[in-house]
Formats: sequence, C-alpha cells, structure tokens
Amino acid sequence: MKDLLEGKPLRHPIHPMLVHFPIGFLVLSFLLDLVSLAFPEVPGLLRGSFYAMLLGIIAALLAALPGFVDYSDIRRDHPGKVIASRHMILNLMVVAIYGINLWIRSSALSDPKISLPPLLLSIIGIGLLSVSGYLGGRLVYDEGIAVGRHKRHTPTPQDTLHLSTGHAASDGEVTFVPVPNAEQLGNGETLRVEIDKQVMTIVRIDNQLYGFQEFCTHRFGPLSEGSLHGFNVQCPWHNSCFDIRTGKVTNGPAKVDLKTFKIETRDGKVGVLLIKDHDQKT
Amino acid sequence: MKSLLDFLKGKWLGHPLHPILAHVPMAMWPGALIFDLLSQYQIGGNAMVRLSFYAIVFGLAAALLAAPTGLVDWSGIKKEKPAWKIGLYHMSLNLTATLLFALNLALRWRTFRDASEVDRIPLLLSAVGTLILISSAYLGGRMVYEYGISVARMSKKKWRKLATAGGADLPLE
Repeated sequence: MKDLLEGKPLRHPIHPMLVHFPIGFLVLSFLLDLVSLAFPEVPGLLRGSFYAMLLGIIAALLAALPGFVDYSDIRRDHPGKVIASRHMILNLMVVAIYGINLWIRSSALSDPKISLPPLLLSIIGIGLLSVSGYLGGRLVYDEGIAVGRHKRHTPTPQDTLHLSTGHAASDGEVTFVPVPNAEQLGNGETLRVEIDKQVMTIVRIDNQLYGFQEFCTHRFGPLSEGSLHGFNVQCPWHNSCFDIRTGKVTNGPAKVDLKTFKIETRDGKVGVLLIKDHDQKT
Repeated sequence: MKSLLDFLKGKWLGHPLHPILAHVPMAMWPGALIFDLLSQYQIGGNAMVRLSFYAIVFGLAAALLAAPTGLVDWSGIKKEKPAWKIGLYHMSLNLTATLLFALNLALRWRTFRDASEVDRIPLLLSAVGTLILISSAYLGGRMVYEYGISVARMSKKKWRKLATAGGADLPLE
C-alpha cells in the first residue's frame, strides 16, 4: 500500500503528479476573480471561479494522502525534512483558507464582480500556495526527495546511527567500532552510520556486510537510499554505479571511486574497522 | 545571452522554471475536459462552457511561457543520455497538445458566449489533448525522478559541503 502511494509501480511519485491540479485550479479560480474585477459585464465568472476552487480543494485533499506517505519516508535527519514539514503545514493552511473562501462566496455566485473578503482570502491562499509549491519543488530539485526512489526495493534508513570511536578498541592504527544494528540487517537493507563525522552506508548482500561512504562522488547523493544490483550500488539521483566491494565506479556520471570500509566480526560483535588516514586532505 | 539562459533555467529563483510553469497547462487543460464533460451532463450551464474556454486560454498562455524554459533545460542534456530522447518525445507531445488545444479554442470561439454545452468535436479534442498531455507530463516526470534532470543542479555546493564534512572521497572542485 505504501509502495503504491509512493508510486513505485508507476516508477514516478504520485504526490508531485497530483499537485498540478490543486495548483492549476486554484490559480484558475484566482484569475477568474481578477477577470471579474476588470470585466464585470462578462457573465458566469464567479460561478466558474467557484467551481474551479471546489475542484482545487478536492484535488488538494487527494494529493495530501500520498504527500503524507512521502513525508513519513524522509529520513528524520535529512536536511529536507524541515522544508517538508513547512511544505505540509503551509498546504494544510491553504486548504483551510480555501474551505472558508468557498463557503463565503457560495452565497454570491451571481454577483458581477468578486467582493473584498473572498478576494483577500484568494490572494492570501495563492501567496501561501506559491511559497509551498516552491518549497515542494526545492524538496525535489535541491534535496532529491523521491528522486530514484522507485528503484529501491527495501525500506530506506529512517535515521542515522551515531557512533563514536571513544570507547572502541584501538591499536593505534586501526580502530574497531562495533555496530550492533548491523547484525539485524536483512539482505539488500542498508544502515546509515556516522562514526566521528565519518558518514557511511552499511549494506548486507549475499549474507555479507559491506561498508562504503554515504555520499556519491558525482553530486553527492545518498547511497544509503540507492538501489542494489548484485554487488553494485546505484545512486538514486543520477544513476552512478559503484562496486560495493572495491568502491570502484562501474557506471558514470561519477568518475571518482568510493571510500570503502572493512566490516569484521570480533569477539562475536560486528563492527567497522577504521584505519587512521595518513594522507588526510585538509 | 548567458544571463537570459540562466534566467530561463530559473537560477535567479533557486528552482528550475520549467516544472513550475508546466503546472498551469497541466491542470488547465485536463480541467477544460472536466468542465466540458460537466457541461454535457447539464451541470453549470453556460458558466461551465465559459470556464472551459478560459481554462484553455490560460493554459495556452502558460504553455507558451513554459516552452522556452523547457527548451533550455533540454539543450543542457547530452545527446547520448537516455533522458535526451525522452525530452525529445516530451517536447513533441507538448507541441502536439498545444496545437490541439489552440485548434480546440478556435472551434469554440463563436459559441462559448451562449452555448449551454460543449460541442462534440471540441470535447473530443479536449479528451485527446488531455491524454497526450498526461503522457507527456509523465515523461517529463520520468526525466526528473528516473534520470535526475535538474536534481542537485543548484544545490551542488551545499551537498559537497555535507559530503566533505562526512569524510567522503570527492573529486576536486
């Protein structure tokens, strides 16, 4: 059901498809209000504006459902989560304002031109809707939300696991940091782990665990949300592929290989080996 | 010239311009079909016929604005990429839909002021135009959600910062 609302069978998210309709219909309603001010002699404008608004509200409610599902699927510490929250709150406000607007104007459908209270509500509504639509677009084009998501067949990490080398066993060069959650990973599932600022993806493939840097080397997309094809991870954004065993690029546009991390079992605990970086770039 | 291209790409806004403008025809024209159908079922009368007419007009105006922004975005895709071909189909379908709705508008120009329902041929044109438009919009969406066109184009620096802070190996700037 969740996959359906996320548009996975369509290979295209549903929410951004449906939002065209509330945006377009509410803009249409507003334009007709404006036309009624300029040409009050033209009949039927306010009736048309009312119908467009009604349709816009219905379409907004339909778009909300997959929108909530998309929202709930964004990782809690994703930089886009805050934008998504604002986008959602603004949309709820827009629907409420248009509900009032529709109710107020329903009794004056035969007027030649729009009166001030509903017009003001439309102006505020369109203003908020524009901001919200803009934020929604930023979610896609800046934050990459829902981009390439349909290619992934397992759930994506809901959070980042924060660990530290502080108490870890170290022999100077090599530090072993246990990652308790890694043992419970199913095949094709990923963890997003941060150890002392180093962000990595841990994945289980063929009952073996592999670790590699979280960020793609092309536009730095989130590989913990990538899709897995054999021993390859594919970036959800621009489809760069890397061999997770070696970190080597197997398909562009990326040109630089990934940093990989060794996963080992020591004293019955699964963990990452962090090797001290001598040629650290500053 | 470059500043015009940047303007059309939406750099000043921090958001690609084409997908913003595309929302308007994408709702207006299917909306026109809905209004046409409602008028056929005697709902709304002449107000519905007029509403459909205005929806087509506004849709055409927005489509003309959206076209150059789309062309600029498309010209930025390398020809050997799969998204280039999809973009070509997307553009051809959009042109077809626009022509169909322009014809549609011309056919209803004389009657929309008084008619209480939309004629068969304009109704058919609305239906065909909407189908073509929806297929085209789907392809446009595929360019974004499958191939990442315009994704992280303007936020590249921000993501590079996050990746650098996250200790990733990166290409040189």
